[in-house]
Amino acid sequence: MILSLAWKNIWRNKKRSLIIIVATALGLWGSLLSGAIWMGWGESMVDTAISRDLAHIQIHKPGYAQNKEIINYIPDGFQILKETQNLPGIAAVSGRTLVEGMAASPTSTFGVKIVGIVPAQAKTVTDIYKRLIEGEYFPDGGGRNPVVIGRKLADRLGLKLHSKIVLSFQDLDGSLNYAAGKIVGIYKTESSLFDQSNVFMRQADLFRLLNTKPLIHEIAIRAESARIMPQVYAAVKANYPQLAVHSWKELAPEVAYTSAAMEAFTYIFIGIILFALLFGITNTMLMAVIERFRELGVLIAVGMKKGRVFTMILLETILLSITGGVAGIVIGAISIVYLAHAGIDLTALASGMETFGASTVLRPFLPLDMYIALPIMIVITASLSAVLPAWKVIHIQPSEAIRTY
Amino acid sequence: MSLIELHDLCKTYNTAAVPVRAVRNVSLQIEKQEFTAIVGPSGSGKTTLLNLIGGLDKPTGGSIFVEGKDIATLKANDLIDFRLHHIGFVFQAYNLIPVFTAKENVEFIMLLQGVSKAKREQRALELLESVGLGDRVNSFPTQLSGGQQQRVAVARALASRPSFVLADEPTANLDSHTAGALLDMMAQLNREFEMTFIFSTHDPRVIKRAHRVVTLEDGAVKSDIRQNEAAEGTE
Ligand SMILES: Nc1ncnc2c1ncn2[C@@H]1O[C@H](COP(=O)(O)OP(=O)(O)O)[C@@H](O)[C@H]1O
Ligand SMILES: [Mg+2]
Repeated sequence: MILSLAWKNIWRNKKRSLIIIVATALGLWGSLLSGAIWMGWGESMVDTAISRDLAHIQIHKPGYAQNKEIINYIPDGFQILKETQNLPGIAAVSGRTLVEGMAASPTSTFGVKIVGIVPAQAKTVTDIYKRLIEGEYFPDGGGRNPVVIGRKLADRLGLKLHSKIVLSFQDLDGSLNYAAGKIVGIYKTESSLFDQSNVFMRQADLFRLLNTKPLIHEIAIRAESARIMPQVYAAVKANYPQLAVHSWKELAPEVAYTSAAMEAFTYIFIGIILFALLFGITNTMLMAVIERFRELGVLIAVGMKKGRVFTMILLETILLSITGGVAGIVIGAISIVYLAHAGIDLTALASGMETFGASTVLRPFLPLDMYIALPIMIVITASLSAVLPAWKVIHIQPSEAIRTY
Repeated sequence: MSLIELHDLCKTYNTAAVPVRAVRNVSLQIEKQEFTAIVGPSGSGKTTLLNLIGGLDKPTGGSIFVEGKDIATLKANDLIDFRLHHIGFVFQAYNLIPVFTAKENVEFIMLLQGVSKAKREQRALELLESVGLGDRVNSFPTQLSGGQQQRVAVARALASRPSFVLADEPTANLDSHTAGALLDMMAQLNREFEMTFIFSTHDPRVIKRAHRVVTLEDGAVKSDIRQNEAAEGTE
């Protein structure tokens, strides 16, 4: 009955209550949606970086990051590749042979990283094969030394599909090698930096050109899901104490940081909105209490303890805020789900975005815990808003409030 | 032991200018089932006296015993509880909860007392029946006339099964016919339920329905007269 009284009291001044409810709803809707867009952007940066080349976990020989020489390959690399394949929680692995070198065309030269892969294996870990804008990803019978390069590099070297590209690199002995390859595919990712510096070749071709036994410098691991990534990471690290095992967060701290910052921004933004609402709600409840001074005095006179009157005012404030809050969360969730489904096309801003490595179609996203944290934040805000009005109530003198001179 | 005993009761308001001695050395005993009017001109101290008896104000001197208990010594929350269980209040301005129906207004007091839903509803309906509003139980205060609202207020005052009912100028906002009818109804409840009523008024037609008339002047008791019940129902 107290709850019903509180609810009925809210609707005594419909206009005033509706203003607060609508303000709360709009404030939350706005902050949820913008938060979801930021977080969707952060998530998209993470996803594209992971599926472009990072994968979830990478294994190297210790010191490889400091000294990327060909000699720093992983000892027993293929054995470890096979072992990791069978570890629980791992979806796919790919071994990479990495050689720093130069790519040249008749007109110019560029420093590149030559990545030797087994195409079928690489496809299971990264999605460069989906990013081809011309040609094919290592087709059968692709000729001698087929090469897949990025659009940016092709432009800079002035090369086209099927053009000849000259690669130069040092072999294990330190002597300079030249090899001619044929461009069979041109890819384009969200990162032009990546596109201009990564050249893909088949491992078998690379071993022949290097005149060496099979060797790999990098094992890229994709976990079954991002959620179990930390456990898988810990397990791999424990299994190979002699090797350098890194998560994508360690390999690309800037990506991890941006994603975390987006989440923090969202909370800060919501916090600011709620802080502003705090004043609006306090003011509304203060007016409601002052208007009803006599009535509240009567309640105390006839035997309602001040604690109960306090609770009633608190309930009124919470109901008022929760009504607006729930409305805001519902329309927020609906618009987020809709936009996540439809995607927000940012092609107009694309050139700018690509440099940052985010996809041009944004899918807003809000983690589930946000939907739980928000109502709690609203109830806390409401409770804080109720303090001043309820404090007024506690100090009502019934004989004064009732007096009709 | 009388139901209410006032010994040398004083209340002085310390206003900025001069202290106002609103109640001076009042000693009174009120027995169970009395139907007492506190009368006197405006400013004579009626409201102040009723507020003291009702535990809404603290005396500045003397003592108030209700059923043998010195209510001036009760702590704030105990005093509220005491009011809830021992005193029924009727106010000049009715003061019903506007968002509640007549029935809910009567029920609410019993809710505060922790009475079960079924018992509350039954008693609320019975009481509204006995104040003659059996057909308006679901009306909201704004849909009722002043006289009807005051009847709901009387039903509300009785709902908690109090030891006595305090009514400060219950008829001041009513026309004289309605006022007479309300008083007749209160007198009937006084007989039927053996309920003690203490009400203040300065309306002569209300005064003549009282069984005992205590007259105040400048906060002191000027006279205390018992009159027969012949005056009843002669409107
Ligand atoms: N809160 C107060 N502060 C100061 N003076 C008061 C207060 N309440 C009542 N008084 C004074 O006390 C006297 C008695 O008032 P009251 O009890 O209201 O009389 P009545 O109800 O008979 O009209 C009046 O002079 C009034 O002005
Ligand atoms: Mg008065």
